[in-house]
Amino acid sequence: MSRIDLALGILDHQLIDSQGRRCGKVDDLELDGLDVKAIVSGRSGWAGRGRLGRLTAWLARGPRAVLVPWDEVRAVDDAVRLRKTAGELRLGRGDDRARQLVERIPGSGL
Amino acid sequence: MKTLFSIALGILAAIGGYVDIGDLVFNTTAGATFGYQLLWAIVLGVGGIIVYAEMCGRVAAVSNRAVFDVVRERLGFAVGLVTLVGAELVSLLTLAAEVGGIALALELLFGHSYQLFIAVAVLGLALVLWAMPFEWIERVFGYGGLCLLVLVPAVFKLHPDWGEVAKGFAPHLETGNVPLYLYYVVGLVGAGMTPYEVYFYSSGGVEEEWTPKDLTTNRLNAIVGYCLGGILSFALLICAGALFLPRGISPELLGSVALVVQSPLGPIGLILMLVGIAFAVSGAAIDTAFSGAYNIAQFFGWEWGKYRHNAGAPRFTIAWIVMLVLAFAIVITGVNPIQVTEFAVIFSVVALPATYLPILLVANDRAYMGQYRNQRLSNLLGIFYLGVIVLVALAAIPLMIITNMGTQ
Repeated sequence: MSRIDLALGILDHQLIDSQGRRCGKVDDLELDGLDVKAIVSGRSGWAGRGRLGRLTAWLARGPRAVLVPWDEVRAVDDAVRLRKTAGELRLGRGDDRARQLVERIPGSGL
Repeated sequence: MKTLFSIALGILAAIGGYVDIGDLVFNTTAGATFGYQLLWAIVLGVGGIIVYAEMCGRVAAVSNRAVFDVVRERLGFAVGLVTLVGAELVSLLTLAAEVGGIALALELLFGHSYQLFIAVAVLGLALVLWAMPFEWIERVFGYGGLCLLVLVPAVFKLHPDWGEVAKGFAPHLETGNVPLYLYYVVGLVGAGMTPYEVYFYSSGGVEEEWTPKDLTTNRLNAIVGYCLGGILSFALLICAGALFLPRGISPELLGSVALVVQSPLGPIGLILMLVGIAFAVSGAAIDTAFSGAYNIAQFFGWEWGKYRHNAGAPRFTIAWIVMLVLAFAIVITGVNPIQVTEFAVIFSVVALPATYLPILLVANDRAYMGQYRNQRLSNLLGIFYLGVIVLVALAAIPLMIITNMGTQ
């Protein structure tokens, strides 16, 4: 993979799974020296983003965060594209839970 | 030929969709208070929305990013979050104002109580958002809004002093007090450049899966659509200036906005005007409800968009439902929708710089835009307007306080 400016080229970008589903943002990065070990998506990712991030993480409910190992990243273009589905990577669970609610309303497939 | 046809249809929808409750209120009150002197402020606002709508449409077509993707990437989590909260509050306030506007227009058309029509409006909007495909929504309400073109013959029938009208296109102040004049400048520019228009426009580009092939459509939609939409604003201000100013009427009700066509064109004109208002304001209500949902989904990376269907973007769907419920709760308290509109426009002006700066930055970024990045003209205009909105944003709240929301 070519060199990418981590702050502008990865952080806060959209995660898209192998089926084209939007499944979170790159909320933080786990670094090992100069190498990226994993992408952090979700609450504990926000906690690393300053005081407001900590406050938001504290106010929010749901799973703490998901770590996506860097090896699962297929490509970085207009979004960060992943090799597996959101389900396999435990991403997008908020949407999964909300879907059960929305599906109870008639015409949810419209 | 087919593309030309679809471009023309898109432009028609943009004209009908240009005017919202903020334009109706500020154009009419500005005309009633200062005659034609403030026409230039409409030109300023129309120019600004053209420049930034074109830019964010281009960013959407080339990089698949809507406004709050860009805000998050460029401003980071914390500053982005503050921008998000501001944008959501302003979108909600605007939605509440639009819902009140729909209810007022329906009340004037059909009688019955305003409260009843608030409920009808919210339920109707929810049904449309739930069941109608994206392209239809845009078109139906855009075309309905074209009834507002009745304002154009109304202008000619009122025989305004065309020399005075022409003078209005150059900034000047002959009579009246300066803070009030400046308050209306802020209001007219703010109503023209409301941020929800770019949230919705850019997200719509992603919804319609624009690619660089659609850049001509984007440019024509923005330039021609908004220019012609601006004509409706001119017409409204001129009618109000010709009709209300000499008689000393201050239009504090939506009914008086509609009166500007009844006097020259009679009852049919009035009905067309009210139908046009109902459609145009409903379209704007839909844009703002969706904008609120687009923004939060894009900020947190949720699945979003009408093209994913209701259950395919569940948190997005819940977000616009919540927007409608909150707007209902605001309007049903009986607050004056005209006042809510003024608040919405003035506060949205404050949110403008944080919305437009990231768009300008990204539109210049080679990594995002490649050969489609801003040319010199877009940058000159983009920077000019950024300066304008910073000035306007700084002046907005002090002017609102000094003039007691345009009443002194």
